[in-house]
Amino acid sequence: MGLPALLLFLAFYLYPALQNLQFATRRWDGITEPEFVGFRNFTNLLTNDDLFYKTLGNNLEFTFLVVIFQTIFALLFAVYLVNNSKVNIALRTLYFFPTILSSVSVGMIWLFLYDPNFGALNLFFNKLGLNSFALNWLGDEKSALYAIAFTQVWFHTGQMMVVYIAGLQQIPKELYEAAEVDGASRWKQFRNVTWPMAMPTTLVVMAYTTIQSFRAFDLIMVMTNSTAGPNNSTNIFSTLIYLTLFNELRLGYAAAQTIFMVIVMILITWLQRQTFGKRYEK
Amino acid sequence: MKTKGHKAFASLRAGVVATVAAALVITPLAVANSAEVPTFGKKCTTEGVSTGTSSKSLVCAASSGGKLTWQRVRLAATNANPVAALTPPKGSIEFWHYRPEDKAHFELIISNYEARYPGTKITQVIKTTTDYNATARVQILANPRAALFATARGSIFNDFVNSGLTLNISNQRFVKQNLVSKGLTAGTVDGKVLGVPYHYLFNNPVYNTEIWAKEKWAFPKNLTQWTAWCKDAKAKGYVPLAWPGATRGQAAQISNSALMNSAASYADLSKNLEDLNSGKIDLTSPWFKGVADIYVKLRQAGCFPDNPTGVTEASALNLFATGKSPILPTGTFSMGAVKALNPELGGKMNLMSMVLTDGKVIAEGIMNNTFNLSVNAKSSSTNQKIALSFLSYLATGPVAAIYGNATTQHVNVLDVEYTNVDLLNTSPFQGKNTMLAPRFLILNTAVSDLTQDALIQIVGGKNTDEVLADFSKQIKQKLAG
Repeated sequence: MGLPALLLFLAFYLYPALQNLQFATRRWDGITEPEFVGFRNFTNLLTNDDLFYKTLGNNLEFTFLVVIFQTIFALLFAVYLVNNSKVNIALRTLYFFPTILSSVSVGMIWLFLYDPNFGALNLFFNKLGLNSFALNWLGDEKSALYAIAFTQVWFHTGQMMVVYIAGLQQIPKELYEAAEVDGASRWKQFRNVTWPMAMPTTLVVMAYTTIQSFRAFDLIMVMTNSTAGPNNSTNIFSTLIYLTLFNELRLGYAAAQTIFMVIVMILITWLQRQTFGKRYEK
Repeated sequence: MKTKGHKAFASLRAGVVATVAAALVITPLAVANSAEVPTFGKKCTTEGVSTGTSSKSLVCAASSGGKLTWQRVRLAATNANPVAALTPPKGSIEFWHYRPEDKAHFELIISNYEARYPGTKITQVIKTTTDYNATARVQILANPRAALFATARGSIFNDFVNSGLTLNISNQRFVKQNLVSKGLTAGTVDGKVLGVPYHYLFNNPVYNTEIWAKEKWAFPKNLTQWTAWCKDAKAKGYVPLAWPGATRGQAAQISNSALMNSAASYADLSKNLEDLNSGKIDLTSPWFKGVADIYVKLRQAGCFPDNPTGVTEASALNLFATGKSPILPTGTFSMGAVKALNPELGGKMNLMSMVLTDGKVIAEGIMNNTFNLSVNAKSSSTNQKIALSFLSYLATGPVAAIYGNATTQHVNVLDVEYTNVDLLNTSPFQGKNTMLAPRFLILNTAVSDLTQDALIQIVGGKNTDEVLADFSKQIKQKLAG
């Protein structure tokens, strides 16, 4: 019964994964004959590649920012829009709208909004006399990562809000009624009822957002014109691997980078489980 | 009292005076005109002036005796007239390329060709660039029917050459007589023509002729004049150069001009770039510091837009198309996009040289080819003949005109009649002392990208020495990997 599934798993998951391991021990441009180099790609990556560590730092910072802010905003919107009134439904639709756009469109829209000389954002700040807030958003390595992280949050908050609303609507109303009878304020209701009861949803949202932030490839490529930002300031694992593979034609090295990316993702997910999962289980 | 005779004498005298005066005025004009009416072998006055770039065009040049005379513009390898296409044997071949955007244009050309030579068939095999670059070489090696194929100039073309796939076509008459010889460099290896570079692009600044005339600007001829011009243009409220610092590929076009005259000769420049590519020298070398210094001087003169590292290609096009900037420092290939934004600029754009040195000038402009067309050396003799015939057909003026006008790009073929006004206006640049875009001599993409990124960071205001040291380290690590 499970044989077809097993065959599919072997053919489309295990075999490519093993082949990736094999590629990681080769020096290969995809055109000439591959050369076996043992673990040189791995040692090089760890001992002689500043860009790898910069990417790791960027990826962790990007993930941290996106997970924190996307989760907070999604929860906040969900709490305020949980009731199915007409206004709430309209607002939910509005907040959810960016999710249905393609990432390339979103990237292009924000690329124009962030334009330092013509962009609406800087024109707005300049109109208000807040010239110091009008930055070279995507052209400066100090702000580029944050600008893209903000776009990522804007892009996906609505989606996570819907997940939260589904979770919040499962919380029994009696719990709020009891809290009200006990004289609990709105904040106390949130802290003692909503937050703990929404923890399973939070775990799902955080896990999904983490994976999503690792895959913010298209947004970064569009918003940085496929350069991974000024001085690689917005390079994350997915863009690094793509550029190593398709731009520099270093297939073996890209395969080694992929393995490290998987390890980092496993570690982050494990840490999330350790931090939030155990608390929830208690 | 005046007599009749006196009156007659006075009239005669006035007539003589008028005749002499007219003669004095007209004679030099006539002499001057006779010198300036371009006639083959006749005297001319302004060296370098040409009447066009066709095989019939004339150029004012010094003869062996040192006199300036009108001579034939010699763009091809020989003075002989272009030849007609070779007649093919019957049969069919495949034409492999990676330009889906050209499919319809080639389809039209192929249908004309097949109608002219019944029994001969050409089938296009088109792949995406990524797919083509990764797999086409191996597939063509195993497929002798793929008798004609395209390759991107540079490393991909070299891979095909090293695989023994490219037939030597140096001795073909159409190669010597129909093509601009200077434009063959990208398809020539060790003196053998192994590919025909078909496009002929100019990676030189495009300027707005209307603004230029209005401001009565003279064309800057060296770095000092460029910086002075930038200051003047900025003072008049313009963004001197609509430079797209956020789009690496387009930002890099200006580096061709900076590199062009950065060494004593093209050979020296090639060696420097090859050494940079291989890691023998890095960005902190005195030569490259000189190149970086050009950027610093341009930056200090206010040549670049505000927040230059954040200016995308779209923003730069906008600056130029709206007249906020008089120069778009990219190339002819941007003119189509400019016209899409502002159709009124059609016919009001032209190309200018960008000499960024105060020293010796070895080239006054940049040209480039995007792809080479080669005949498969492993195909059968019949298939090679068909491929050569079709290639020679593509190398005839009227056929190349179909392609050039349809793609709004110049082609590396003589006697092409451009119907597009902007192509027409900029065609004389083919006769200038241009250099094949030197930045593409850095074949390693990582090295090339990091080199450009370093220059972009310098324009962004970073400390030059720190940037060059930092990016040299990054290049070293890439080459070690």
